[in-house]
Amino acid sequence: MQAKELKAPHIRLKDSARSTMLDVLIALLPLYFMATYFYGARALALGGVSLLSAVAADVICVFLSGRRPNPRDFSALVTGLLIPLMLPASVPYYVPVTAAVFAIAVVKHPFGGVGQNIFNPAAGGFAFVSVCWPSLVFSYPQPMFSLPITGELPARLAESPAHALMLGAVPTIDKLDLMLGKFAGPMGVTNILVLATCFLYLLFRRAINWQAPAAFLGMTAAIAYLFPRIPVSRSESVAFELLSGTLVFAGIFLLSDPVTSPKRGLSRFVYGALAGAATMLLRYYGGFEQTAAFALLLVNSFTLLLDHELERLFRIVRRAVLGFRAYRRNQRIIKKV
Amino acid sequence: MEQYKEPAINRPLREFVNSNYPGMLFESSLSTEEDELEPQEIIRLAELAGIVDERDGEPLYRKLQKAAQQQVRVVVADAIDDEPYVSSQINPMLKCAPQAAGGLRLAMKATGAGKVYFAVYKNITDLVHRIPKTLEGVTVKRIRGRYPAEFRTTDDFAKEAPLALIGVCALIHLYRAVKEHRIQSSCFVTVAGNCVANPMNLEASVGMTVDQLLERCGLADDPGRIIIGGPMTGVACQDPSATVVGPATRAVLAFKEDVKERRYQCIGCGKCVDCCPENLTPFYINKYIERGRMEMLDFYEIDRCIGCGTCSYVCPAKLDVAANIKAAKAARQKNSTGGLPDAG
Repeated sequence: MQAKELKAPHIRLKDSARSTMLDVLIALLPLYFMATYFYGARALALGGVSLLSAVAADVICVFLSGRRPNPRDFSALVTGLLIPLMLPASVPYYVPVTAAVFAIAVVKHPFGGVGQNIFNPAAGGFAFVSVCWPSLVFSYPQPMFSLPITGELPARLAESPAHALMLGAVPTIDKLDLMLGKFAGPMGVTNILVLATCFLYLLFRRAINWQAPAAFLGMTAAIAYLFPRIPVSRSESVAFELLSGTLVFAGIFLLSDPVTSPKRGLSRFVYGALAGAATMLLRYYGGFEQTAAFALLLVNSFTLLLDHELERLFRIVRRAVLGFRAYRRNQRIIKKV
Repeated sequence: MEQYKEPAINRPLREFVNSNYPGMLFESSLSTEEDELEPQEIIRLAELAGIVDERDGEPLYRKLQKAAQQQVRVVVADAIDDEPYVSSQINPMLKCAPQAAGGLRLAMKATGAGKVYFAVYKNITDLVHRIPKTLEGVTVKRIRGRYPAEFRTTDDFAKEAPLALIGVCALIHLYRAVKEHRIQSSCFVTVAGNCVANPMNLEASVGMTVDQLLERCGLADDPGRIIIGGPMTGVACQDPSATVVGPATRAVLAFKEDVKERRYQCIGCGKCVDCCPENLTPFYINKYIERGRMEMLDFYEIDRCIGCGTCSYVCPAKLDVAANIKAAKAARQKNSTGGLPDAG
């Protein structure tokens, strides 16, 4: 007799929660490589500090909730590595530490830990520090200028193109530099080609869904195309709005976070579109230049509602399909008789 | 889904029978020639031989009677075998093709249908030999699509409905019952799994124990899990020396597996929702079962679940989603007088 009840199905797909999270970690590595290329070893140091504080906060929270920490749970690592990428490389070390601890201890664990949190921890952490220290978070060093890990930082910090957009000015950057992310901005999220590669890798590995990022980017591009806020051509407006900050990064890595996004393909579309609209509205009428994280937190609260309401639609669809099948079968029998 | 049907699917079908097997005949004055038999007599022979359809465990004569009453237009021989490792329908169909086709023609006569088909699963990728387009003059139709394919068969033949679906093994037994007046005393079983040294399809006597079958094929390792039936829907066997194979047993699988506990937690990826063939929401159904909120299960239409197990199969947290849903469904049906009929 066996001690454990063995339940069907008896074979399982190899992919696990661990391999999914590992894929996200692998996809983050090229971004850290770019950040190191642009800003030197300080980018790596920021990532390491944030990672360590996230893991430490996670272990403490797990112990406080009376459980054992799971060495196969990589979600805290992902949160810890996501946060510094959205910050400038010149930010003091206490900013990513605060963000990571806030993300784990306030946004994630009070709701029940892994898989139970309503709001995206990385977005919550970033939103918290950008409210606390907006001057530190929204002033950026110039790229291709290696920053020291400790000691004096260069005093010359610049505004990002997103700031110029907020003021209604046309940013003065070369198109190619905009594509390659060679402008003063968040340390790891500006190179669009690397981001696109990571996105393709994650899609190919099925670590994330495609619906939410697609709807999000489509919606933001549509709004930027229809209502440009700076005096340039419509397509240039789309390019500036999408490429000047954390928007694409948030769409790929934060919005598609499995825990906080809806479960149905259709509700993911609606969710992504809502997040896109909220991002652009906050950009047009809000007080900050990087708004994707705030918009994401806003639509996170609609996740359950979206799934529940769209389930009504699917109930009708299922009934219609079943009814159609039965109808067709009856028609055949009637004809035969 | 990897099918892992090789090498069993292409190996010869071996007999593994008790000594009294050849003498298991029944007395009947009916003719052994197909042309001289009336439809009712064929059904009578199926009843005398005690043939059971391996698809659903229903007696064959009752299925034939029902089909004749419904005036079916097509008889489809089901050799779909959509679960991995299992090839106990398609292998006898290929190896005993004359008998299978003969049985199919007998079933056509018994039900008064106009057409017959073999149905096989298309997504078997690891085959050495090709499955022929026609077998003994009967068209072989392929059922396309991802794993739960068997329940979709009725839709694939919707143009020619109503149809009767009868398992290939039952048809082989029907042929033998008519030609030799032989009682169904054997069943076709796949013995496979990563512990089995010599995976193959056996024609085993009914009443053989699971242990005997596994010994016949040889165990390469100590199995941690012995399964009666397919790997997706089968039942774990607790005591292989006291469990016997019956007419509806399609496979005996032995697996060695890593039993380390990994304590994964649901990360809400929604893969179970994406893959559900009935377009249900296993994620929320499982959540509400865990929280004990059974009143929500009606809204999520748990009764439409066909129990294919795909949600558990894809789950990256290795949760027992399908098993939970099955248990909740069973508990509901015990309490209530009935729900929606199963789709398909």
